[in-house]
Amino acid sequence: MATGDSSGPVVRPELNRSQATSLVFQALTVVIPDRPVETLDERQELYADLGLDSLGFVRLLLEFESKLGVQLFDDGLMTIKLLNVGDLIDLIERISLPAVR
Amino acid sequence: MVATPRDPLLPTHWFNILHDRPQYVTSALSRSQLGGVAKSAGHSVFLQQPLSLARQSLNTADRFIPIPGEVLDLYAQYRPTPLRRAVRLEERLGVNARIYYKYEGANLTGSHKLNTALAQAYYYAGAGVKRIVTGTAAGQWGTALAYACQVMNLGCTVFMVRSTLRQKPVRGEMMRLFGAVVYESPSDLTEVGRRVLGEDPAATGTQAVANGEALALAAEDSGSRFAVGSGENSVLLHQTVIGQEAVSQLAQLGEFPDCVIACMGAGSNFGGIALPLLGAAQDAGRPIRLLAVESTACPKLTRGRYLYDLSDALGTTPITKVYSLGSTYVPPPVYAGGLRHHSAGPLASAMYADGSLEAVAIDQHTSFRAGLLFCETEGILPAPESAHAVAGMIDVVSRHPRQEAPLVVLVNISGHGLLDLGAYRSFAAGEIEPVTADEASMSRSLSALEEFNRSIGEPAKTT
Repeated sequence: MATGDSSGPVVRPELNRSQATSLVFQALTVVIPDRPVETLDERQELYADLGLDSLGFVRLLLEFESKLGVQLFDDGLMTIKLLNVGDLIDLIERISLPAVR
Repeated sequence: MVATPRDPLLPTHWFNILHDRPQYVTSALSRSQLGGVAKSAGHSVFLQQPLSLARQSLNTADRFIPIPGEVLDLYAQYRPTPLRRAVRLEERLGVNARIYYKYEGANLTGSHKLNTALAQAYYYAGAGVKRIVTGTAAGQWGTALAYACQVMNLGCTVFMVRSTLRQKPVRGEMMRLFGAVVYESPSDLTEVGRRVLGEDPAATGTQAVANGEALALAAEDSGSRFAVGSGENSVLLHQTVIGQEAVSQLAQLGEFPDCVIACMGAGSNFGGIALPLLGAAQDAGRPIRLLAVESTACPKLTRGRYLYDLSDALGTTPITKVYSLGSTYVPPPVYAGGLRHHSAGPLASAMYADGSLEAVAIDQHTSFRAGLLFCETEGILPAPESAHAVAGMIDVVSRHPRQEAPLVVLVNISGHGLLDLGAYRSFAAGEIEPVTADEASMSRSLSALEEFNRSIGEPAKTT
């Protein structure tokens, strides 16, 4: 997937698994406010357990853009299908890699 | 390739009302508040729309959003659209008003829907989607999308509501001419369609079912995605070229309307003409009246509830707060198929809830009479949907007192009625009766809608 800067040069450290998990949990609590962070875990399904639909997924991606200081482009995003929170954490690790910034 | 020269009146940006009124950002319900979601275990989450398009529906930062150059070049082939004063209609009515109309029916596909179809096809193609699947009621959206997909080298599949496809099969032929695959909805292709046909083999179909079938089919192919032609904020955004042009065209005439009138399906042609006028009125510090005209067969604003509801029969789309008659309501078949959607879009609903727009319901007998009068006096046969707007406009100007300053009104003629000649012929032959809502179906559907909202702790707000 292509990403680009939304506001000029920004230093974005590559995220390790723990950091990516923390970021995903924070973003999920913004998009799904009735889900406190302590109730989240990697095995939960995004749709079936958390009720995240396509609009929620959009809001989540925009939240990641804001937190990571990047702008995500359409190219490649449409092929992504995520089942659970762990898949989402994998996605964030990929987004934060220098090669795809 | 040499592009069509762009007229100076062609807007280069879309007008984004969410910048001025961020409170209109769609209010969606998290499915985690619902019981029974766990039954959908194994259901993946993915983008239904390109992010760039979805981003537009949530953008509160930018008052104007640039129109991509490729889309502008295509707009330049048919825009700006005409704005005319309906002088002969004024004379015939003998009213104390100056009536202006914007005419969106002069493009190949015959309606305003092309404004968003071209934009959406551009973004879907850019995102790597291979085919767009959609539902259409009257067929104007399906026709526009079929053409736009052909222009952008995308495949297109359309589920068209059975009652309207049978009323005007030539709509289906137009879509096929542009390369689209067209199915009558309900169909036996999808579980949603089979369920509806199982309950009633003669079901006339609804937009909600057609959309549900489109969603189901799109989900079977990774290269396909679903798209809608009305209701969503981004769709209304694309339609704002209409109102922006009207502001400029009226300014050249030294005019500004007191009242803007358009028909209401889910809100795209209404928003397209009204939102830029609302913005211009705000800037000028002057009042403006916005009037949405709906069908008595589907009175979602005047008789609906402002509650969380589904927009499709499959039940996978976001659950948004809208004025609705409930997604199970089956309106009687009327010729204005574009006004049969059970709910207004979230943005138009939020505007109605805070009093920024008024609404009136008009029956198809009255609207056909108004449409024929408009044809006789102005030389344009409006689509049955647009004829509702004409009827609403005639009602407004007819009530304006003679002793006051002339009322200046602007009405949107969202499409032509040249594919609805059979309906006009039936009206002229005295075969069309006023059609009101199906009270039994509406009562059942509203009860289910209210029960659903009670179950999630959302109190009902009536009109």
